[in-house]
Amino acid sequence: MTQTIISAKGLQKTFGTFKAVRGLDFDIEAGTCVGLLGPNGAGKTTTMRMLMGLSGITGGELTVLGKTPEDLTRTEKSQIGLVPQMDNLDTDVSVTENLEIYGRFYDVSWEELAVRVPQLLDFMQLSDKAHARVNQLSGGMKRRLVIARALISNPDIVFLDEPTTGLDPQVRVLIWKQILSLKAQGKTLLLTTHYMDEAQRLCDRIIIIDEGQVLDDDTPKNLIKKHVSGHVVEVPKAELSTFKTYDADSEDIGNAVLLYVDKIEPYAAQIKNHPGTFYRPANLEDVFLRLTGRSLREGA
Amino acid sequence: MNELRDFILVAKTILRRNFLVNYSNKWTTLANNLGNPILFLFAFGYGLGAIIDEMGDVPYIAFVVPGMIAYATMFTSSFEATIGAFSRFQFLRTWDAALATPVRLHQLLMAEIVWGALKGVFAGFCVLLVGAAVGGIVIFSKLWLLLPICLLASACFMACGLVATAYARWYDSFSYFFTFWVSPMFMFCGVFFSVDRFPEWLQWVSFFLPMTPFIGMIRPLTTGLPIDWSLMAIQGFYLVALTVFAFWVAHRKIKKRMFD
Ligand SMILES: Nc1ncnc2c1ncn2[C@@H]1O[C@H](COP(=O)(O)OP(=O)(O)OP(=O)(O)O)[C@@H](O)[C@H]1O
Ligand SMILES: [Mg+2]
Repeated sequence: MTQTIISAKGLQKTFGTFKAVRGLDFDIEAGTCVGLLGPNGAGKTTTMRMLMGLSGITGGELTVLGKTPEDLTRTEKSQIGLVPQMDNLDTDVSVTENLEIYGRFYDVSWEELAVRVPQLLDFMQLSDKAHARVNQLSGGMKRRLVIARALISNPDIVFLDEPTTGLDPQVRVLIWKQILSLKAQGKTLLLTTHYMDEAQRLCDRIIIIDEGQVLDDDTPKNLIKKHVSGHVVEVPKAELSTFKTYDADSEDIGNAVLLYVDKIEPYAAQIKNHPGTFYRPANLEDVFLRLTGRSLREGA
Repeated sequence: MNELRDFILVAKTILRRNFLVNYSNKWTTLANNLGNPILFLFAFGYGLGAIIDEMGDVPYIAFVVPGMIAYATMFTSSFEATIGAFSRFQFLRTWDAALATPVRLHQLLMAEIVWGALKGVFAGFCVLLVGAAVGGIVIFSKLWLLLPICLLASACFMACGLVATAYARWYDSFSYFFTFWVSPMFMFCGVFFSVDRFPEWLQWVSFFLPMTPFIGMIRPLTTGLPIDWSLMAIQGFYLVALTVFAFWVAHRKIKKRMFD
């Protein structure tokens, strides 16, 4: 049985006269990990803030656990954790105190905190920084602390706004591992990221938005099937003049052009003759570029 | 009932947080809170005190000490409500972080007010110690009344300061607040001399500034001048009303800024 716990219908947000979110529709089922992808300024953070009740909604409907976010009771709100895009840790107090203060806001008892704080620090590999001041932490450590903080009330729903942006590969892998373990615990996750490999690895379903509107909403596999054909041929611009594209859909990526092709056979011979040209299976990154980029036709 | 329970939880947490932060600078805080009135009293004792024997029927030192208690309280809470609160609001964004938890904005702001009021009272208490040491406190029997009055006034200055914070674009916006709110309360509300020396229009301005009723309430308590209880009730009521009104304005504007 899947149960919808978050639902947006025609969700809108206007800042002054600027329409940041212009009618989003989506549902999120309990226990799934959903990715919210979109270019910079697409409205991902704005949507998450509305989900948290940190930002009022201008139009449409939004329900979290069956209620408008502002109407959630203390207990209901405690079931939701947020990793904001911008770190807003309390830099005046220590790592442990950050978690304790936040935990107390949720009314987690001191006895419980005595157990949970070391556990979470361990979970995010911050145990040796337990008594450090926040401004003595590196960017990646701060990010991990923000994630630990979002988990202090042991929430069932966690919103993660770009949890891994700007982190080194080791830390990203650690965070992926921990996100997967949250998923295994049955938590509902909504994640934004600009790393498509991350989205593909972690998410059951992906919502792609741009300019405040949903472009598509499906599983990573279906998105690839729907929007990009089987393979991508990458042709450097220098070799483009002699390369026959057979009117395949294309995308300009600067120094090269991507061709989305169903079958690789008609191109196989040419690819051999053009040393800079190669092909690979299509992935989510291609879907993203296709949906959000301005598609470039032959010769342009 | 739940609302009260939740508020106490939020207030306790925020008081603890702010106390932790301030405790690490305890010597600085103490040095400032004690050093400032000592320097002031030294300057005024030798300066003004040499030419003024008496003011308002009491020795000048007895006149000025309650004024300085009020000033320290007012300045400390005004500073906390502006520079302090604005940092947590816009610079550190810890208010944003708190509001992602079950904490509500009005609880957060009220907790800030309680904190700032306590801090203001502490500053006033330090001046009281210095003032008592230099013989500026004439009677001691009514000093206990200083506590609730200073708490109330301090809460009022906090609420007024939060209005400035609600409208401030960035830190430099507070220069208006200090020039046109804090300084007039320092100069025109009876800290150093009776308000009745000013032209009438200025007396009207000072009449409405919360510092005037505040000083009016506490000066008789330390100097032993006769207390007009009904006047004190009116002054107290004015401070309560102003606190509630300022809180309402600040909450409304901050909510708009954060949620719209
Ligand atoms: N408080 C605000 N006032 C005015 N405009 C805003 C505000 N917050 C966001 N916007 C605008 O709304 C749009 C969406 O912003 P949002 O932060 O939601 O984008 P995003 O999808 O999270 O982008 P990114 O990937 O860069 O984080 C942007 O054009 C932004 O300029
Ligand atoms: Mg964002």
